[in-house]
Amino acid sequence: MQYLWENIFKRLEREQNISSILAQNILFRNLSKSELRFIEKIIHIRKYRAGEYIFRQNENGVGMYIIAKGRVDITIIDDIFIDPSEEKEVVVTRLEPGDFFGELALVEDVSRRSASAVASSDTILIGFFKPDLLEILERDPGIGVKVIFRLAEVLGRRLKETTEKISQLKKEIRLLGELHEVNTSDS
Amino acid sequence: MTPEEFRKRVIKRESLIRLITLGIFVVIGLLTLLGVPGMLVSFLLAFVITYMFKPVVNALERNGTNRTAAILIPFSVVGVLLWGVYKLLLPGITESLVELQAELPKYSASLGELFETHSKTVNELLSKFGNFDVTARLTEWAKTSSSNFLTELPNFISLSLTTLLLAPFFAFFMLRDGRSITKELLQLVPNNFFELSLNLIYQINQQLGGFIRARLVESLLVGAVVWPGLYLLDVPYSLFLAIVAGLTNLIPYIGPVIGAAPGLAIGFVSGATSTVLMLIALVYVVAQILDMIFIIPLVIAKIVDLHPVTVVVVIIIGSQVMGVLGMIISIPVASILKLTFSVFYNHVVDIRG
Repeated sequence: MQYLWENIFKRLEREQNISSILAQNILFRNLSKSELRFIEKIIHIRKYRAGEYIFRQNENGVGMYIIAKGRVDITIIDDIFIDPSEEKEVVVTRLEPGDFFGELALVEDVSRRSASAVASSDTILIGFFKPDLLEILERDPGIGVKVIFRLAEVLGRRLKETTEKISQLKKEIRLLGELHEVNTSDS
Repeated sequence: MTPEEFRKRVIKRESLIRLITLGIFVVIGLLTLLGVPGMLVSFLLAFVITYMFKPVVNALERNGTNRTAAILIPFSVVGVLLWGVYKLLLPGITESLVELQAELPKYSASLGELFETHSKTVNELLSKFGNFDVTARLTEWAKTSSSNFLTELPNFISLSLTTLLLAPFFAFFMLRDGRSITKELLQLVPNNFFELSLNLIYQINQQLGGFIRARLVESLLVGAVVWPGLYLLDVPYSLFLAIVAGLTNLIPYIGPVIGAAPGLAIGFVSGATSTVLMLIALVYVVAQILDMIFIIPLVIAKIVDLHPVTVVVVIIIGSQVMGVLGMIISIPVASILKLTFSVFYNHVVDIRG
């Protein structure tokens, strides 16, 4: 009996946790309480063991994940080696609760994952996928438009960050080139 | 065993448990559908109702109606309409049936005469191929089928009524709870197949919805052409014949022929001239041409991505396994299987590539 109560309590706690995570996420931040309840009925909760893959690089993807509990490593295959047997996975970043990843798949027609995601500890994820977004747009376009607007904002921000990174890299390359020229003229 | 190996083993075991549980659910579902009489037809009809009503329900929900109310509205409207049609057409149908009953001896007599005139020729022709008495065979078939029909009729009526009443009941819950049921079932899918399954279910839903709605438009178009055509040619029971033509049109290839046969037979026995008979045939042909020009290339071919040879083969398999019902459902089932295989194949290739 106690086990049953503990289970119900845990479930309620998890549900509350999930609604607060959703409310804090940039995609759903503009939504009212009733709109968030509608989203809660649509999203998917998935549990992963430490070391389990959420998705692999080059796989077709259909949506994004928000971390409710645990940590996720984003890895890419380091393919600078000529021999494929030497290929190894490199951790690019480690994501914490509240972080999200894979959102590009929500808007791409055919989306291939550019990196792998693997749970680095026992993890609970909130999954939000393209069919879910399309259903929201069909059943309540008001909510759908709010979510898409926020999504566009996120993608725009990512694009800006990437552009800034590229210009930074270009600067570094130019600097390295100049240093190389100075070194060769000195020698 | 290293901790890493142990973890991998636990992940594999959990995936396997999920897969087995899902498999058990699917097998129980299939056994119920195929084992309980009338259940498969009820479910198929429920799917048809669900896909027909879904755009209306979603549109009502978009305008702020609560989901359950949005489902009840089209059910109530269609229910009232059916009741109205039943009340309006019942006197006409009763009259037609009484008329048909009175005319039946005339029809059977003319059919009998026709049979008498031609049976000798047919028997002579068939005797060349062996000992084959058409008259005896036909009499025996008529006797057994009529006695079977009489003994099976009460069972058939009660089964049909149950099937027809269960279909809207199932459809109501499919529209209201379909999403949460699918979500619960997806919980059982192992993590490495989850996104794939979710996307597959979405694609199947889109394809089936489009296919069912297109087939219904096809049937309506055929009925809408046949009814005024036969009515203008003064063929009795034109509305009934149009409904038959629309419904039989759901059977691929041979459906239109089956649908045209009663119209031509009634025209023939009611003494229509050969010109009128040709015109009756023309009405059915026009309906089919319109269907072939507009619906099939514009709607169905785009929804069902199957080669014509594959279509013929799956229809033959469908008819062998489940008869007329098999012929009707063979194309959507084949396209779902094709979609499932291609999605899983691409996933495996993705992982390996």
